[in-house]
Amino acid sequence: MADGTVIKPDLDFVKGVIDGGGESLKKCYQCATCTVVCNVTPDQNPFPRKEMVWAQWGLKEKFMGNPDVWLCHQCNDCTVYCPRGAKPGEVLGAIRKQSIKQYSAPAFLVNLVNNKALSWLIFLVPAVLLGVILSADGAFFPAEEEIKFSFFASTLTIQLVFVPALTFGFAVGIMGVMKFWADMKKAARVTSGNLGGSISATATEILSHIKFKSCGVSADRFTAHFLVLYSFIALGIATGIGVLYIDILHIESPFSLTGTGFPVKIFGAVGAAGLLLGAFLMMSNRFKNAEKVGSGSYFDWLLITIIGVIAVSGILSWLTRIAGLAPVAYSVYFIHLVFVLSLFVYLPYSKLAHLFYRSAAICFIKYSGREKR
Amino acid sequence: MSEQQKTVLVIGGGFSGLTAAVETAEAGFNVVIVEKTPFFGGRVTQLNKYFPKLCPPNCGLEINFKRIKNSADITFYTQAEVEKISGQEGNYDVTIKLAPRFINDKCVGCNACNEACPVEIPNEFNFGLDKTKAAYITHNQAFPFKYVIDGKACKGKACSKCAEACKYDAIDLDMKPETVNLKVGAVVLATGWDLYDVSKLDILGGGKIRNVVTNMQMERLAAPNGPTGGKILRPSDGKEVKNIAFVQCAGSRDENHLPYCSYICCMASLKQATYLREQYPDSKVRIFYIDIRTPGRYEQFFWKVKEDPNVTLTKGKVAKIEEDTRTGDVTLVVEDVMSGKKIKEKYDMVVLAAGMVPSTKASKIPGDISYTDEGFVMAGALKKGMFAVGTLKSPVDVARSVQDATGVAIKSIQSARRS
Amino acid sequence: MEMEKKFGVYICKGCGIGEAVNIEKVKRAGSIAAKIPIENVREHQVLCSPEGLELIKNDVKEGVNSIIIGACSPRVKYEEFDFPGSIVERVNLREFVAWTQEPMSSDAQSLADDYIKMGAIRVQRGSLPEPNILPDLSKKILVIGGGMAGMTAAIEAANAGYEVVLVEKEAELGGMAAKLYKETPRQYPFDKLDEPRIASVIKEVEANQNIKIYKSTKIDKTDGQPGLLDVTLSNNGTSETIKVGAVVMATGWKPYDATKLEHLGYGRPNVITSVQMEEMAKKGKITRPSDGKEAKKVAFIQCAGSRDPNHLPYCSSFCCATSLKQAKYVREKNGDSVAMIFYKDIRTPGQSELFYKNMQNDPGVLLTKAEVTGISDAINGNLYVEAENTLLGEKIRVEADLVVLATGIVPSTRAPQEWLDGLTEAQKKGDDAKKAYIEANPRPEMILNLEYRQGPEIPSLEGAYGFADSNFICFQYETRRTGIYSAGCVRQPMGMSDAAEDAAGAALKAIQCVEHVAKGIAVHPRAWDMTFPDPMMIKCTSCKRCTEECPFGAIDEDAKGTPFYRINRCRRCGTCMGACPERIVSFKDFSVDIVGTMIKSIEVEEDEFRIIVLACENDAYPALDSAAIKRMKLNPKIRIIPVRCLGSTNLVWVTDAFSKGIDGLILLGCKYGENYQCHFVKGSELANYRFSKVKETLDKLQLESERCQLMQVAINEYDNLPKLIEDFVARVEEIGPNPFKEL
Repeated sequence: MADGTVIKPDLDFVKGVIDGGGESLKKCYQCATCTVVCNVTPDQNPFPRKEMVWAQWGLKEKFMGNPDVWLCHQCNDCTVYCPRGAKPGEVLGAIRKQSIKQYSAPAFLVNLVNNKALSWLIFLVPAVLLGVILSADGAFFPAEEEIKFSFFASTLTIQLVFVPALTFGFAVGIMGVMKFWADMKKAARVTSGNLGGSISATATEILSHIKFKSCGVSADRFTAHFLVLYSFIALGIATGIGVLYIDILHIESPFSLTGTGFPVKIFGAVGAAGLLLGAFLMMSNRFKNAEKVGSGSYFDWLLITIIGVIAVSGILSWLTRIAGLAPVAYSVYFIHLVFVLSLFVYLPYSKLAHLFYRSAAICFIKYSGREKR
Repeated sequence: MSEQQKTVLVIGGGFSGLTAAVETAEAGFNVVIVEKTPFFGGRVTQLNKYFPKLCPPNCGLEINFKRIKNSADITFYTQAEVEKISGQEGNYDVTIKLAPRFINDKCVGCNACNEACPVEIPNEFNFGLDKTKAAYITHNQAFPFKYVIDGKACKGKACSKCAEACKYDAIDLDMKPETVNLKVGAVVLATGWDLYDVSKLDILGGGKIRNVVTNMQMERLAAPNGPTGGKILRPSDGKEVKNIAFVQCAGSRDENHLPYCSYICCMASLKQATYLREQYPDSKVRIFYIDIRTPGRYEQFFWKVKEDPNVTLTKGKVAKIEEDTRTGDVTLVVEDVMSGKKIKEKYDMVVLAAGMVPSTKASKIPGDISYTDEGFVMAGALKKGMFAVGTLKSPVDVARSVQDATGVAIKSIQSARRS
Repeated sequence: MEMEKKFGVYICKGCGIGEAVNIEKVKRAGSIAAKIPIENVREHQVLCSPEGLELIKNDVKEGVNSIIIGACSPRVKYEEFDFPGSIVERVNLREFVAWTQEPMSSDAQSLADDYIKMGAIRVQRGSLPEPNILPDLSKKILVIGGGMAGMTAAIEAANAGYEVVLVEKEAELGGMAAKLYKETPRQYPFDKLDEPRIASVIKEVEANQNIKIYKSTKIDKTDGQPGLLDVTLSNNGTSETIKVGAVVMATGWKPYDATKLEHLGYGRPNVITSVQMEEMAKKGKITRPSDGKEAKKVAFIQCAGSRDPNHLPYCSSFCCATSLKQAKYVREKNGDSVAMIFYKDIRTPGQSELFYKNMQNDPGVLLTKAEVTGISDAINGNLYVEAENTLLGEKIRVEADLVVLATGIVPSTRAPQEWLDGLTEAQKKGDDAKKAYIEANPRPEMILNLEYRQGPEIPSLEGAYGFADSNFICFQYETRRTGIYSAGCVRQPMGMSDAAEDAAGAALKAIQCVEHVAKGIAVHPRAWDMTFPDPMMIKCTSCKRCTEECPFGAIDEDAKGTPFYRINRCRRCGTCMGACPERIVSFKDFSVDIVGTMIKSIEVEEDEFRIIVLACENDAYPALDSAAIKRMKLNPKIRIIPVRCLGSTNLVWVTDAFSKGIDGLILLGCKYGENYQCHFVKGSELANYRFSKVKETLDKLQLESERCQLMQVAINEYDNLPKLIEDFVARVEEIGPNPFKEL
């Protein structure tokens, strides 16, 4: 008699989604327009219609090991055509935040990082921390005529702070992903698959941004995301070459476009410009589509802000350095460092965690063979 | 109580307006009906059959026309629009503008003008599915049975072919607009509804894909007095329609279009399914819906249609429709919600169950009338002695319009009596 | 006083008539038939033109008062050819001859001649109607039921200036509406619940000088006819008889018996109905009956009984809105609570969709489509709602601490009607079966207790489950008990605002009825008709066919078993006229004699076939007209005679026709059966029943029964009509000519 899956509505989860940018969640009436207009969803058990009703009922266990919320690229085609204004795109974003909370330990950090009221704190902490370290380093506001950021923060200090920070971010993220992967396998009852092939296919998909290309109304998101992703890659390369120059070839910074530092500088410059433009596009897209798809949640804006500030402060510190405006240059550089540090530390707790989970989800549906034909 | 003050004005000569008018008159009051188009009957004249009885609307219309013909208390104007309403309960001053018909009372309905007329115009009565002439009558049970000349399309006196053909001196191409002033005790607003403009439904191919038709066009395709003589043939190539899909809530229940439910579309599509099934025994019908809304005893009609093995009902809103330009076939995409599968299927023809828009969305009635954002009359906020009927307040079917119009008749006689 | 008839015959030559027939010959036929000199028969190129009409008007001035107009269909040019004070007969030469026949053929000519002759007979044998106004009429309106619908009907009728008697069975007014805690919103934007309005409506009723209220009162007997209804009211043993003119029946509904919903858990302490939920919310907290604890997880099960072939095979219309409303109660009373709604389809039609949208937008209101399969016990008195095919999974269980069954509605008319239907069935099996039925089934409380030969309540429709609904879409208040109009949930499941609207409509119909009765004219659908059936009683054999067949129960029998008319119940369809084997029922302008003589006047040539078409003037006649407007050809051998309703066709016409040498007879009328379109409900069905027995008559004459056929035709089926007739004529031709021709 009494069989069937027991459904346990969790009102806190519902409220979590609503407060986390999914305030339109309750408007959904399950017509399935969203799943039809979505160009990235698979044909079998397509999203986001089913995710909407699960979230309405607060069925958080349904989101354990659910790759679908991560397959969503938030094109917002669904949101534009949603007849109820339920904004599935935004809701899925909010659900993803809940998902990050499930997997990025400790969970409270997700809340803390994404708490609007504490926004001052999340930048103040790294700022103070970095301030203390740099003061201990004794390099605050160097007296030298020539502006060298290494006077301000030695390469070693930078490496001692930022390498562990990034490592921490990645470690938490990777641990989360492993848990997520196991949950996905359990939920989908998948035991084996072609992992290597899936990973390489995933990499191709991500790098080509093929899914973004199928976005309808928010086609411009392709450009923005493409720019940001490749800019980060460029900046990563610039950093890598920088490390190579300084630590191995012992070529001292600062580098210039005209000297041996050209590769560092060109990657840096292109990356910075791309990042700036990408962040700008992300912002303008959100304003442009605000009426129809919503201007995005705090969760969303936090990441855009970090990226934007990194880009602006990076470029400004370079320009002010060349202009010889020492106090300004060092101040801006400090801000730059604070935000880069934030980016690294908050990597698994902010929206940037999608780097891990979306990649894993994309990989999983290839691995499990559920991908859209 | 003067005679004038006992008069009730009914704006709109569709089924609601006609009902309000004849019911009021049969209670002993004078009534004036004002109809914007050249003929009475409104939307229901365009229907093939009513649900759930599957009986022809002209049957009830004929009775109501007979009631008008036999009543000394009813005056009517066609091609008439109310320009101004002022005053208050018991003493409204109304100005009515009459557009020229270009055909006078001498018309006998012989059709000679139509045959002579060289100007072809899209047939609005058939929602553009065919053409008619500038001198026309909508159908052969039209009331009044008097032809009309479309003043915009007519080439005027320079042509005069109709006037030459008319043996009865019924054509008057010099006819001018007229103004009529009335004093009435109460005003009944019954201007009905328009079909939602499906060309706004971009992802459903409304108005673009040839074999995607509206539910009202479907009525015309099935009606014996329609463009195909009642044979359901698809517009692109006149092929018999053997495989059809109905897309429910095409515009309705959608805040990008019409946030409300249009009430009649579920029953209408179920009814239209029977048109096809009856005409082509080997045909297949699939209805895609969000919720099937067949309130009250309409449920039984739903069951009866559902029993037919060639009729399938699927929960899921169609959100993508594409045309195979070579064959004219139509492909739609939908999620079958209950099984969680995205379906892509090809059909001979697709019917959009388009929603109802109150006529007051586009053209407001003069006077102190408040409307909702969607253009419905806020009945509670109307001035004393003014009443709204039927689809002007909320989407309803014919049965409920009749109910409402009869109820409004008592309120208008109260107003007329109070004066 | 019969007026002295002075005849005038007018033939129009326009619209092709002049080109289709020899007008001189038509005039001659008219002159012979009307017995006037041929030079007095007038013709005009366009008779409906001012000049043409002048011809007639001048003659009227000269004393002509019996006018035969051979022109177009009476459906057109009705204003032009209107001569008050004269008998006017429109002979349809245009549609039935000029537009449907071969021009200048001998067939067309004899057709036109016959039509003119028949028209003349109608005028000769008919007379001008005078109204039959009964004395001492009451215009008082009786409203039965003191709920929202009844009280609204009372207020509306009273405000229109009529005296009203309001009868309520219970000790207090208010009905179901009085139980409500809150109402679903009545006004745009439909975003918050409204306070109940019932108290103010009760106040308004009680304050209205025109309304007399009887509480704790039932109706023991309703006798008489509209305008003269004697209603016996009983109140705690005392009874009083009042006279009223018309009745609005608004006795409302009862919730479906939840004890039949055991499969949905009813019987368990924490499973309640939506009515119980209202009562509880009205009292204050929403608690569990088992332990009085506040309910925090409330499950609403929609369609509890409704939309279920085993229970109520209809949708109760307002339960979706009610549960959404009650979900709001749960949420408003406790912010931590959840209200879970399990639905088959959410039905919030029209603008109430906005209400759904607003109620849904609450984090604690959860909805899923589901087929609830059962209820089982969880711990602590909690329950599991078990469901299949949900949006949350194929098979689920959800824990709730209180379950609300959105039970459907049953009209108050259902119990009496079911009992009466059962009685009718038993009666068919004989007196013993009837006795056994009455013993086994206690008679439920009746509502109207009509002293009508045809039963104590308003008759039910086939398959309507006791709803006293009109079968007409266009005419919602049609009733087979003239002067008694139902409103609200006795007609259809409907919400309170709709019921109030409906009540206003029913009140108007009641007013129309008393006003028409006062003028001596019929009510719908012949609301202009002053004629009435006037039987020649000395020839009556008391066979009771008229009393049995009258669709409106207008004829009762006196103590001796002699039928007598309650004329104000009559709708003037003429079914009694058709039923009467003694041919004694006549209207001033329509009688067995008139039609019989028309039939007999038809010229029958030995080598020609002649077919009579008796066409219902409501739908069949306009359909024939429409075929003509399309210039379709009609078989020239037919002679169309319009009748009020097929119910009025008398079998003697068959004898008249066939003994005269007519070869075939078509009865062309409306569809009958469950979805009947007959405007007099039973007319065409009765004609079919009568004519199914025509075989006997034809056998007596040694004629083939195929010579007589009833065809059901809708007004829009004109395209097939000529072919149907053609096929019939062909069949008759195959059978061969009527042998009586030669006699």
